[in-house]
Formats: sequence, C-alpha cells, structure tokens
Amino acid sequence: MREYLNIFFVILRRDLILAFRNKAELINPLMFFVIVIVLFPLAFGSDSALLKQLTSGIIWVTALLATCLSLETIFRSDFEDGSIEQFSLSRYPLTLLVSAKILAHWMTFSIPLIVIALFTGIVLSLSSQTISALFITLLLGTPVLSLIGAITVALTIGLRGGMLLSLLILPLYMPILIFSMLAIQNAAVGQSITAELYFLAGILVLAITLAPIATAAALRIRLS
Amino acid sequence: MKLPRWIHQFGSPKYFYELSLWLSRWVAIVCVICFVCGLYGGLVLAPADYQQGDSFRIMYIHVPSAWMSLFIYMVMAVAGGIGLIWRIKLAEIVARSSAPIGASFTFLALVTGAIWGKPMWGTWWVWDARLTSELILLFLYLGYIALQSAFEDRRVAARAGAILALVGIVNIPIIHYSVEWWSTLHQGPTITKMDKPSIHLSMLIPLLFMVLAFKTFFISTLLIRARSEILEYECNASWVKQLLGSNNVTK
Amino acid sequence: MSKFNVNNLECIRRDNILFQNLNFDLEDGGLLQIDGVNGSGKSSLLQMCAGLIQATEGEVRWNGEDINDCRYQFQSDIRYFGHTNGVKAGLTALENMHVMYALSGAKTAIDYSFVLKQIGLEGMEDILVSRMSAGQKRRVGLSRFFMSGSSLWLLDEPFNALDKDGKIIIEQLIVNHCREGGMVIFATHQSIEIESYPLQHVHLGQHNQTTHHA
Repeated sequence: MREYLNIFFVILRRDLILAFRNKAELINPLMFFVIVIVLFPLAFGSDSALLKQLTSGIIWVTALLATCLSLETIFRSDFEDGSIEQFSLSRYPLTLLVSAKILAHWMTFSIPLIVIALFTGIVLSLSSQTISALFITLLLGTPVLSLIGAITVALTIGLRGGMLLSLLILPLYMPILIFSMLAIQNAAVGQSITAELYFLAGILVLAITLAPIATAAALRIRLS
Repeated sequence: MKLPRWIHQFGSPKYFYELSLWLSRWVAIVCVICFVCGLYGGLVLAPADYQQGDSFRIMYIHVPSAWMSLFIYMVMAVAGGIGLIWRIKLAEIVARSSAPIGASFTFLALVTGAIWGKPMWGTWWVWDARLTSELILLFLYLGYIALQSAFEDRRVAARAGAILALVGIVNIPIIHYSVEWWSTLHQGPTITKMDKPSIHLSMLIPLLFMVLAFKTFFISTLLIRARSEILEYECNASWVKQLLGSNNVTK
Repeated sequence: MSKFNVNNLECIRRDNILFQNLNFDLEDGGLLQIDGVNGSGKSSLLQMCAGLIQATEGEVRWNGEDINDCRYQFQSDIRYFGHTNGVKAGLTALENMHVMYALSGAKTAIDYSFVLKQIGLEGMEDILVSRMSAGQKRRVGLSRFFMSGSSLWLLDEPFNALDKDGKIIIEQLIVNHCREGGMVIFATHQSIEIESYPLQHVHLGQHNQTTHHA
C-alpha cells in the first residue's frame, strides 16, 4: 500500500513539475476561457438584463470547452515519448498511474479555472448565492470533466482529426452541465440545491471509480 | 473466466458465415410479413385518434424506432464488452455493424418525432425530454462511428469503440434522467399522447407487429453487414480465400 | 530458475502475415538476437514478448504460465525498451531517473551519479533532457537498465543513435546481465557482433523465419 502511495505521488509530482515548466500549455486554455467569456457581452451588449441571466451558463459552457481543449495534451507527450508504454509495463497498475495524471491535470487546470470563474462572477456582479452555487458545482463538476475526458483522450490520442475529441466528449458532458445549471438557477431564486449537488457528487464518485479503469484500458488498446 | 466451448464454436467466423446466410433469409421473410401486417393494421384498419386524427399513425414508425435506437446501443455495448473481455471476433463484428443501423433508427425516431410535432405542437422541434435524449443518443452513435472510421486497424477500432460504447451505456441513464429533470423544470411535463397507457387494442396490435418487424429488420441487416465484415476481417484465412477463389471473385 | 517460451507465435499486421509458427526458448543466462530487414516484424515480436500487443495465434509463457495469466509477476520481472526512450524532455536527467527508479520497483537504493558516470553522462544530473543530443537522450533512457529488479530485458534497437562508446557500454551491460543469470532479447538491424557471449538468433524474413544457436 505504501509502495502504491509512493508511486502515485511520484507521478503526481512529475506531472506537476512538467506542467509548471511548460507554462504555455498551462495558460493557453485558461486564456481561451477568459476570452470566450468576454465575447458574450460584446455580442449581447454590456448591460442587458439578458446577459445577467446568462452569465453563469456562459461560464459553465466555456469551462466545458476550455476543459476539452486543455485535455488534449494530457497524454500526448507521454504517448509520443514512450512514457505510457513504460507505465503500462511497470509492475504498478496503469489505473493508479493514470489516476495520478488525471489528478495533476485537475490541479493544474481546473483549480485556476475555478478561481478565474469566481472572479469573473464577482466582476459581472452575480448574486452571492449564485456565486457560491457556481463554486460548488464547479468544484464537484470539473473533476468529472477531467475523468471522463481522460477516457476519450486516451481513445483518440494521435488519431487524425482534432475535432474528434470534442465530438466524443461533449455529449458525455451534458448531464454535468444540466445538473450544475439547475443547481445554479435554483440557488439564484433561493431554493434548495441539495438534490442537484447529491447527483453531481454521485456522478463524481462513479467517475472516480470507473473512469481510471476505462482510461487505462483505452491506453492499452492504443498501445497495441 | 473461461467461456464454454460451444460459444467459441458459434463465435468462429467460418461457422457463423455459413449459418448467417440461412438465418438472415428466414429472418428477412418474417420481417416482411410483420411489416405488411403492421402497416396494413396501422394505416388502414386502426381507427383515427379522436384527438390527433390521422397524424397519430406516425407512431407506428416513431415508437418502434425509438425503442430500437436504445436497444441497438445496448446490443453494441454488450457485444463490445464481450469482444473486449473474451476477444471474440464475432462480438466485435456485431458491435461494429450495429452502429450505423442504430444511428439510422435514432435519426428516424427524431425525424418522425419532428413530423409528428408539427401538427401537434405547431413547430418542428420542441425541447421535449424524449426528443432531447434521443438527440444526445444520436450524438453518441455518431461519435462511435467517427471513432471507428479514424482507425486503420479494425480490431483496435472495435476494442476502442467497445470502451466508448460502455462509457456511453453508463451515461445513458444519467443523461436520460438529467434531461427529464431539466425539461420538467423548464416547461412543465409535456404530455405526450404516445405513451398513453390506455391504447386501444386495434391500435396496439399493429404496433406490436411493427416492433417485431423493426427487430427482425435489425437482425437481418445486422447479419448481412456482419457477413461482409467477416470477409474483410478474415481475408487471410484459408476458408475465405477458398470461398472467393471458388466464386471467381477478384479481391 | 526462470524460463521464457514463445510457442507457435503468429503476427498479422494490416492484413499481412509477418511471421507464423515462431518458436524459441530462453533460460537463465540466455541472450537472443532478433534480426531481419525493415518491416519483418522485429518490433512486433518484441512487443508481443512484452505483452504490449496480443499475438493473433500462439502464446508467450513466463515460467510456464501464459503471460496474460501472470501479468503482475511478469511485469515485475521484465524491463522493456522500445523505439522511444521513455524519458520526459521537460525533466532533468536526474528527475527522469527518479521516476524510472520508482516505476522499476527496485528495492535496493542506487547511486544516481554513479549510474550516470557508467552511461557516459557524468555530471549531467541537472541538465534538461530537451537540451541533450539524440544519443544522450537514448543513454538516459537506457539508464533504467542499471537499476536492479528485473531478470528479462527486452530491447528494441538499443544501439540506435548511439556512438561507438555508447554501443560498447550497452554491449557490456547486456553481457554482464546475462553472466549474472539474466535474460536478454534484443532486436537490431545493425550488424552487432557480441563475441564474448554465446548468442541465439531468430531471423525474421518473408514468412521463413529461422532459429538457430550460435
């Protein structure tokens, strides 16, 4: 058990170091996130009531798209330089190593994303209930996005056609979007949001249990 | 876990290839009979609905195709899973061949839903829970097909597709439930006349015939598709070379 | 006492039969070279031996058990080195070696700077791999063979990109491992003559592979 924990943290540390050394890969999807959010006021006008209603939805949809873009690189270099091959032939379960990589992705991409999203929410003067609901749903939802995304990335890695990944991921992301937005809308009118949060938490548990296994299986298939 | 021997024998492509020709013909005959009975019963014998008039008759296409769209996805995921675990080629072939048929049924369900919606709701498209789930299901199918066509190696494609289908099958109930919840919150439950339980017997029997017809149609097209897939898979096997040679077919 | 057997192996890639009915055995201290022209299936054979790809027919056995049935044991006992080096360009040589060491599951501690010296990269601990030449990168990747804990080595074109010194180091490494009772299978298209140790050969050609003992 200690041995497994050790290797988990070795891989996590490795990926964190790599992420911080390659800052462009880290920052570009976050920049994309901010720029796309700015597009909406430009399209709908700065002080329209409509925009206020849409803000939290815009943040969530943009978060989905940005996650989609950032995930593309999660396994690419490891696949090209043979690290995945070495992982899959090591004595440790590939599932464990892959989980460490997914956690590293969540830490380096989603945590900054959540911070930026909250900041945007405050700047665009969302109500405090809405912002806290936005925070909780992003906190519960983004790990699922990384986990489900990892499966599809593993399946599509190195295949021609960059759009393929988005085609596969986005339908799978829809329930997360729906539950999160329902929670945020309920929170905005002061209703309880526990039901939606339980659902999100349930999906998160399911994804944590199954997604690393599926990702590892997909990577093994791609190696053959 | 080991499978019994007879499953592997049935799963052997050569055995299946011989059996499937015979099977697909008989199933096709059953299919035609059911179609004729179902269509005649549904379009001619069944009385017009007291509210919807004749437009309800599109249900004889819409309902079976909606059922089939989900059913075929399940077949795809289960067959894919079997192929993934026990490496049975035939299961991979079944999964791969099912996808386009399933996508077609899903598309058919959407189109017929829209056609039915025009006189009922006044617009082609309403964000009704069922239609929305069906639309997402179509996306899942298209994703699967896109993934299949991106690979060169058929076996790798089949196994990658199996994982995607299994992920999809875990997701489908979640999608369905979330969409249901979402649509009731946004516009109140849409009352669909189609799932009124007290359907009259003279309307129900043709529907059952149509369901059977669609099912047998799926089986026979699946068999035909699978046969040609098998030949591609096994083009190195001696029995395929013999078969092609004896029929004077050039590769 | 370990044993590695390949029985009746067949490989079909893109509808072409690369080899069929391939058999060979390897025991402690065995050294085997796979040779053949480009596209003859050398890499595929090594990948099958490692369990990365599944044989279309036949089986690979480790200590008498199919490698698919004893994955954990098998993967603890092998070390594989493919066309790619398995090192991260964004990490330094030392950081890469830390990861390799953790992945190898080796129990005994190692002296990293001593390993680097042996592989000919003395004093390059803190150099980013992206700043290194192809040969140096290859050497960093090969440093995983200086870590204990595996008995069967599978090397795919280990001499690629290496200079003369590098080749000698690797040859020496391979021979030493066999002398200590390990097993090595390597594939190469270069004419490598390991004279100091008895060598088994598997020759892959168009459908007519031969195995013979030197």
